[in-house]
Amino acid sequence: MHDSILDYRGFRYLWVALILSIGSIVAYLWHDPIGVPNGGSWLGYTLGTIGALLILWLLWFGIRKRRYGRATGTARGWLSAHVYLGTTLILIAFLHAGFQVGWNIHTLALVLMLLVIFSGFFGVYAYLRYPALMTRNRADSTRAAMIGEIRELDAQALQIADKVDRSVHDAILSSIQHTEFGGSVWKQLRARDNSTTALARLKEAVLASDAGEAPKPQAGGSQTMVMMVDFLANQASDTQSEHLRRLIDLISRKRALATRVARDIQLQALMEIWLYFHVPLSLGLLGALIAHVVAVFFYW
Amino acid sequence: MRWFIRRVTRKGKGSIQYEEEIHFGETLTIGRAANQAIFVNDLRAALEHATVTTLGGGRHCVESLVAAGLRIDGRFEQNAVVGSGHTIEIGNVRITLIDPPPDFEAAVEVGLVDKAEVAAREQSEALPQSLAETGLSKRRWAWTLLLATLFFGLLLPIVAHYVGTFRSLVKETPAVGLNIWDSGPLASAHHTMANDCQSCHGEPFNVVRDDKCLACHAGTAAHADPVKFPLPEIAESRCAHCHRDHNGDDGLVRSDQILCSDCHRNLSERVAGKTEVGDVGDFGTHHPDFKVLLPAWDEQGKFAPTRVSMEKSPLTETSGLKFPHATHLDPKGLKTAEGQRTLTCADCHRSEPGGALLAPIDFEQHCQRCHKLDFDLRMPDRQVPHGKVAEIQYQLAEYYSRVALEGGYDDIQAPVFVRERRRPGQAAATQEETRQALQWAREQTLRMTDDLFGKRTCTICHEVSKDPAATQSGWRVAPVRVSGVWFEKARFTHARHATMECADCHVAAQSMSSADLLIPPIGAVGTRSAKPPYACRDCHGGEKAARQLGSTCIDCHGFHQAEMPLHPGVTAK
Repeated sequence: MHDSILDYRGFRYLWVALILSIGSIVAYLWHDPIGVPNGGSWLGYTLGTIGALLILWLLWFGIRKRRYGRATGTARGWLSAHVYLGTTLILIAFLHAGFQVGWNIHTLALVLMLLVIFSGFFGVYAYLRYPALMTRNRADSTRAAMIGEIRELDAQALQIADKVDRSVHDAILSSIQHTEFGGSVWKQLRARDNSTTALARLKEAVLASDAGEAPKPQAGGSQTMVMMVDFLANQASDTQSEHLRRLIDLISRKRALATRVARDIQLQALMEIWLYFHVPLSLGLLGALIAHVVAVFFYW
Repeated sequence: MRWFIRRVTRKGKGSIQYEEEIHFGETLTIGRAANQAIFVNDLRAALEHATVTTLGGGRHCVESLVAAGLRIDGRFEQNAVVGSGHTIEIGNVRITLIDPPPDFEAAVEVGLVDKAEVAAREQSEALPQSLAETGLSKRRWAWTLLLATLFFGLLLPIVAHYVGTFRSLVKETPAVGLNIWDSGPLASAHHTMANDCQSCHGEPFNVVRDDKCLACHAGTAAHADPVKFPLPEIAESRCAHCHRDHNGDDGLVRSDQILCSDCHRNLSERVAGKTEVGDVGDFGTHHPDFKVLLPAWDEQGKFAPTRVSMEKSPLTETSGLKFPHATHLDPKGLKTAEGQRTLTCADCHRSEPGGALLAPIDFEQHCQRCHKLDFDLRMPDRQVPHGKVAEIQYQLAEYYSRVALEGGYDDIQAPVFVRERRRPGQAAATQEETRQALQWAREQTLRMTDDLFGKRTCTICHEVSKDPAATQSGWRVAPVRVSGVWFEKARFTHARHATMECADCHVAAQSMSSADLLIPPIGAVGTRSAKPPYACRDCHGGEKAARQLGSTCIDCHGFHQAEMPLHPGVTAK
């Protein structure tokens, strides 16, 4: 039976995390420290030690996941434990500190830890949700195959456009050159493709060509594909209407493909982007944790 | 104008074929149409795609006629001004501007773009399709953050610890140097040391030692004699065991109940026989009856108050004074020389400056207006001082000697000589008369003394007894004193109870005898009185009291209160 990272082995690590959490809360409520609750009481030191060991163990996951077949347990089991015990760390850290915060290295470690954990939450969401979306978006194809198909459609479009009109050819040529997949981090995450622009240009080209002397299109109206087909067909002479219809068909297919490619890149980027926060912040946390522990005992 | 056009055709296996032709005209046209000077057989070229116009001086203006543009030196442009050596690409055709041979104004070389080259370029021009390809690096950021946190969080503070000049340089800079280690605000008394960690923290990786505290707090009293009570909590504890700073304004001084109850709830077991201090665990539920300090005198007559448990109440207070509170607080009022007057507590009991104790009662100030010390009906305005028996006797003797010598004392019992008024300056008639007059004066003094002490005045308030050994007159007035401090092991301040009425705690209005102890008791466990008089437990409970004011040991008792210094021989620097 398939189980995800969350319900791995009947929520085994959820139970571990819950027991750890409840144990910590009970100890915190029962504990009557000298003065206000703080990291310097025996419970504070105990929870701090548990928290620090948890952080080191969670960091070890970065190494463990690269050790295919050389380590104990399955990667999925490790990840399940990583998620649940990482979440528990929020509680343990706050109980350790007695909810005291300040402008110092100790709270910096806490803030970095929270940022790591919350970026991890996004990671859990991404890993649970995006693979299915990616599969559905690709529809049994691959990104390379879709891009190859787009190139094919481009070549066909160019051939047909040449038969219609030079301005139409120019528009198609221009749109081919402006067809881009991916780009900067921001572009990958935004998933904007320029196929709509290509369609608009084609429309302008038809209007500018000798073929049509028709009424101006309603300005500003966003055109659906059906409207475009009707509109362009009306502009063209009978001999060219068939070419235009085929051209529109090609461009529509290209647009659908380009959108899927952009979405594919976007989903992949979303699956990865959180790690660019999670991993560096966790190393920042390691530094802050070392500084925190040394500081506490340096000035005991 | 003449253009030199050289066509280069590769025929496989490295053989190259050149065709040369001449084009006349200012402009070189490029496109897929048949009429173009340079024909491009590729659908990616427009029919009329571009023109090259010579500007002279080896410069050419390349202009695209279509929106798609063309590649100049590999980059898509709409137009550009270029010299020889530059290339133009349209579709699969590459046109290189070359130096014209003699007799030509301009020259180009036309060839096909190599397919392998196109493929390589496509690969290099492809936009990144994953985050890794954008140059974003987890590793770089990870190292940066790791080193930054170690630098600011560890290296700089350690440098600041060891290097004084750096330490003072960044002393006031937030979150730099040692400030980033500051785990929380210091208690208000210590805040002046906030930028000087080493005033408390000495050797690295060592706990804060007592000698750092004693630099200022040398005179602090011990809690108990560590020799008599060799308990680890007393003998081995560091100051910092209890006094933990960096927890804000109120964090330094412990006031929690367990501080005391930890040892005191079963103290009698822990230090069997060594102390009379009772077992205490909680003010509300586990605290012995108060021990009140009652006035007493030792055999030598020295004031030696005794501590007596209020468990045995009602206790009798032997202050030496006769004073019925109820009489004085009669709501109907008292008949005084100045008319009917109703007294309140505050007419006599006033707080000391500071409010902790009440100021002592003063006879002249509080009593004498009604309780006059007159002694002779013929001279009602004359009063003896409120003082010692002998002093009063002197005053009476002096007074009656003067009367005897001056005469004019209207008393049938007195000798004639005393009754006759003499003029000023007139001497006694005879020696015998003088002797009789002074004899009368001595007798009158004794009569009046006996009258004052034995019958009329002093006995109203004082315990007066005949004691031949005591004084010349044989009268003895018992000393009068109240304890002043009733609870010597606890702190009670009236000022903190100013919202209460006196009668809420002290049942003075019903007390007909000064032997009644008007100090309120601790009160019963578990029951609360709804109306006065209240006992302490009616308002105060233990630390976790649900219905009373949560009061811990430290609210009344001090910790450092033994009569010996905590660290003998240490003086503040």
